Amino acid sequence: MIERVGIAELKIASAPQRLKAYGLGSCLAVALYDPCTRLGGLVHSLLPQQRCGEPPAGAPKFVDAAIRLMVAELSQAGADPARLLAKSAGGANMFESHYLTLMQSIGVRNARSARETLEELGIPLVGEEVGGNRGRTVTFDLATGRLLVYCARDDRTVVL
Amino acid sequence: MPFCDLNEVQLDTLKEISNIGMGHAATALSQMIGQRITLRVPRVSVTEIKEVPDRLGGAEALMVGITLQILGDARGSIMLLFPQESAHRLLCCLLNREERGLVMNELTVSALKEVGNILASAYLSAIGNLLHKTLIPSVPMLAYDMAGAVADYVLIELSQGGDLALMVETDFSAGADDAKRIRGHFFLMPDPQTLDIFLRMIRGES
Repeated sequence: MIERVGIAELKIASAPQRLKAYGLGSCLAVALYDPCTRLGGLVHSLLPQQRCGEPPAGAPKFVDAAIRLMVAELSQAGADPARLLAKSAGGANMFESHYLTLMQSIGVRNARSARETLEELGIPLVGEEVGGNRGRTVTFDLATGRLLVYCARDDRTVVL
Repeated sequence: MPFCDLNEVQLDTLKEISNIGMGHAATALSQMIGQRITLRVPRVSVTEIKEVPDRLGGAEALMVGITLQILGDARGSIMLLFPQESAHRLLCCLLNREERGLVMNELTVSALKEVGNILASAYLSAIGNLLHKTLIPSVPMLAYDMAGAVADYVLIELSQGGDLALMVETDFSAGADDAKRIRGHFFLMPDPQTLDIFLRMIRGES
């Protein structure tokens, strides 16, 4: 069964389910997986950091807050935080541009925020398919822990 | 003003503003490609940001997206989307030759950006005249990819203001033959402060 993870959504699932996030541009998808219990989660985040004072319900919108929330939800579901492995995809810069804007680096900042947050939490980032200027669709297979990253424009799939 | 608090009159006002802008834009495009352009009545919708890609025809559908920032007395974004086949047909019209499939190269990218530039300039100058404001389009940027990926650039910008996006959307098409029709979607996404400016100016407040 495939469950869809929309923009600013976080979903937790277990084998043999699959989680799928469509059409990531600058957005970042982060997958966490516990290989022993085969529990995992996928989030589709828009922005790198949650600011102070933002409502906690908005956590999945932000890469850093989303990862923390996912770890909490996974441990509650029975996963061991010490066993978690992370993979990420997305964080592209879709529009080539000759003038620099803050927006241009948002994809890069999303990917960086994921790396930093994961390092802080001691979760190894074992696969990354980020940057560039292509859109991606990711499918997270909870049975194997594999993250399939599909690029429609090149019609190519990378397996993390 | 939070987007969800808009009343019927305000929504109608936004539609009317957009209609006037789109009318000018359509005339410009019509002259450019030598075909009559049909406009649909604009839709104004306040959508949860996460639902936007579905409204664009599915997150994975390949599209050409051209986006411009609105600069000057108001802020926001304009996004122009052409489904893959429509972008191809549009290019055939613009370049006046049969192109085999949609290929992105310097010429085609530049031609499509020019369409974006002309549409947005005509749209903004008409609205600007109406509201006595200076609205300037930025340099257009283009992406050819999945609709979701193309749109999330704008969504990210909007999401910093809240969870809702206000979209004023107009569909337009050229060509009478269904199989050869060029379809496009034009989105105006004002940021919340700009929406206030629009609504105040319409009521005659400065």
